[in-house]
Amino acid sequence: MTTGAPAGGSPPARREPPASVHTGLLRIREELPAWQAWLLGLVPVALLLLAWVFVTSGAAEERVISPTILPSPSEVVASFPLLWFDRALTRNLAVSFLRVVEGFLLALVVSFPLGLLMGSFTKVKAAFTPLTIFGAYLPIPTLVPLTLSLFGTAELQKVMFLALAFSIYLVPLFVAAVDAVDDTYLKTAYTLGATKGQAVSRVLLPISWPEIWQAMRMGFGVGWSYILLAEMVDVGRGIGGIIITSQRRGPREHIYLVLVIIVVVAFLTDKLWAVAGRWLFPYREAKR
Amino acid sequence: MEEQPKVGPTVLGKLVLFLFVLACIAGAAYYFRDLLAPGGRGGGKQVDLDEFRKVEAPDTKGITTVSEYKYVPGEKLPPVKGVSAYKWDAQKVVSFPINVWIGWLPIVAANGGFAPNADSIFAKKYGFKVNLKLIDDPVVARDAFAAGESHVLWGTLDMMVLFAPDLMKDSRSAPRVFQQVDWSSGGDGIVVRGAIASVADLKGKTIVYAQNSPSQYFINNLLLNAGVQPSSVKHKFTATAFEAAAAFVADKSIDACVSWAPDIYNIPEKVKGTRILTTTAEANKLIADVWAARADFAKDHPDVVKGLVAGIFDGMDRLKDATQREKAYQWMAEGYGMQADEVRAMAQDAHSTNFAENKAFFVNANDPANFERTWKNVTFVYRELGLLDTPVRFDEVMDFSVIQELDKSGSFAHQKDESRATFTPTSYKKMSAESPILTQTIRINFYPNSANVFEPQHDESGKAVANTLYDPSVAATLEKVARLVGQYERAVVAVVGHTDSSMKGKGTRFEDVKALSTDRAEAVKQALVKKYNFDPNKFTVEGKGWDDPADADDPMNQALNRRVEISVYPPEAK
Repeated sequence: MTTGAPAGGSPPARREPPASVHTGLLRIREELPAWQAWLLGLVPVALLLLAWVFVTSGAAEERVISPTILPSPSEVVASFPLLWFDRALTRNLAVSFLRVVEGFLLALVVSFPLGLLMGSFTKVKAAFTPLTIFGAYLPIPTLVPLTLSLFGTAELQKVMFLALAFSIYLVPLFVAAVDAVDDTYLKTAYTLGATKGQAVSRVLLPISWPEIWQAMRMGFGVGWSYILLAEMVDVGRGIGGIIITSQRRGPREHIYLVLVIIVVVAFLTDKLWAVAGRWLFPYREAKR
Repeated sequence: MEEQPKVGPTVLGKLVLFLFVLACIAGAAYYFRDLLAPGGRGGGKQVDLDEFRKVEAPDTKGITTVSEYKYVPGEKLPPVKGVSAYKWDAQKVVSFPINVWIGWLPIVAANGGFAPNADSIFAKKYGFKVNLKLIDDPVVARDAFAAGESHVLWGTLDMMVLFAPDLMKDSRSAPRVFQQVDWSSGGDGIVVRGAIASVADLKGKTIVYAQNSPSQYFINNLLLNAGVQPSSVKHKFTATAFEAAAAFVADKSIDACVSWAPDIYNIPEKVKGTRILTTTAEANKLIADVWAARADFAKDHPDVVKGLVAGIFDGMDRLKDATQREKAYQWMAEGYGMQADEVRAMAQDAHSTNFAENKAFFVNANDPANFERTWKNVTFVYRELGLLDTPVRFDEVMDFSVIQELDKSGSFAHQKDESRATFTPTSYKKMSAESPILTQTIRINFYPNSANVFEPQHDESGKAVANTLYDPSVAATLEKVARLVGQYERAVVAVVGHTDSSMKGKGTRFEDVKALSTDRAEAVKQALVKKYNFDPNKFTVEGKGWDDPADADDPMNQALNRRVEISVYPPEAK
């Protein structure tokens, strides 16, 4: 193999890639064994933890960051039993999780057909695009009082608020998924005599399914970022209520603990989505 | 089909196995349910209403009007350790966050607006500048204080009770309260729907309010004072008082809300069938607005802290002048991004507490609504609600050293107590035509046929035993009443005595019994007036004899019948 860039008359398209692209620490799109991927994933987490320990070690007054702002990892861990027992972590977590699921399902009922229609029919898309753009720029917190006056203060309001937030996020992604279906498939279908309905139900939908699934997987996480807003009213139960309460009267530890727990839950649910996706669309995982 | 040789269980077998494992997991989860999903703490718990009065260690010596603390604040305040951690430079600018609240008018007046400037009273008289910043969210204000970004934390005393334990984890950011700025006086209130006429009617109803805010203290203190278990009311929580008002308007199934002006006044005007139950216009010594300085800052710059306190008092002097007052409204409006008219409309929400009132609040140990009593009362309410694990003592936060210094120097001797309401004598008949906000039932064990609340014990021969009390808990009982009456400083109070009916039809004349119950009610009034220096005209006294059994269904329950009822009525509409 030659190295460097020999100037020559050979056509550029045929040129052998320089060997350097296959060597060195960082290689573009290299195959990575699973254990390496895991290990590399752990490094930033470990560094973050180390930094956390560093800025929060020592007596309260000698720390880089005061415990009244950021408690140390050990303090956070030590407050776990209090969160688990006195503040009924699991029950509140279950309540919040259920709300997210309900809001998500409700959002699907509206956003899935809408997204499919918008992706398929240009006129529908033209009609609803301004609305989705408006939604994308809308500061979601301003919707809290609105949902209050429409849906009261109980469970319905929280679910509806989450459904609204989910829909705003999901519709553009669904549209993009349907949009991404290559025209060749449609043309082939028409050649074979497919009707409009068939083109949507037999071509556009099945081909965009994996992308739609991917959009749902990403969208599901969004609910957790809005749970705090959703649970601002009638704070009684739910994981958002724990954060709001801890901000006001402590312990600070629980704020960070709940954040960590939300991350863990999000990670686990995301893995579930991935597993389900592999099972539903095995061909998507096939090597391209 | 040909039979394929199979290894392992059949499909049915697999299903059965799967269900079995699932059942095992479910069973284990159920068995360990208290461990896996504990029910949590707080709420639903019964408050020992008798404990409510034991907040104060009773001072049985009693009967003095002014008794000042003898200790030096520095001895009880937690010492500051380590290197100070706040921002400070040669510019000497105190970062002082405030919320949208008319109580900050004096400091706005003293500072000549929000921005630090050389023309302010602080700069001219005390040699530093003040930067007033609008930070309406208490959590943000608290975090800025903890991080050393601001030197001061705004808040009500009940908020400080909740903030203090966490802030004191770092001795440098421990809050030191040096001054009371105002009493909420109409700024907080409770709006109800339908036929709710008094606090007692809230039993079994749904109320909505902002958790961990003055609203929560207001309503739960009220419930406890009226003898209503907080757990017998359905509480709905919101993050802010604004949302509580919105939720009340939107949701007809909610019977009451605790919120702030202007919402509490707007709702009854706009929403049919709603009315104000009570506001801090009546409970005008319940919610104290204060500011706290970081402990490290207070330690390093006692002169600046003293200047802040004095400057705010100077601001109160300045506001006596009508043109200065208008100017202050204008400055405040600019700082809040509001119209001057909107700020002027808030003027009635709070009563600024001048030097004399601060002196009563901080150093008069006998004031029924002083710092110590307010702090202990808040602590009791929040601890009973399960919101407070490790309460902080009042003297770990309260620093009256500046007020004491200013008292000695006499700089503000001209500021006289303006908070004391004046009362004209009124009759019980006239008063009781209205319904009371709340009625508190107390029991004082009177010696038979005696109307002396401090009656000593008697030996077998009927001779009084010196240094004993027939009712040893009488001082604590009076203390409980005094706190309620002190909180409702502007309201009028009826003291109604009742006797049992054990001598009914046994030759005892009703007139005598009625006179005895009147005398006993009068004795309770006198004891309160003497010890806590209340205006005698605040009270009316009535004796009902045996006419009014405590429990209509059980009129012969004589232990319940021997009682005194303290009813708080709204001040007469003028």
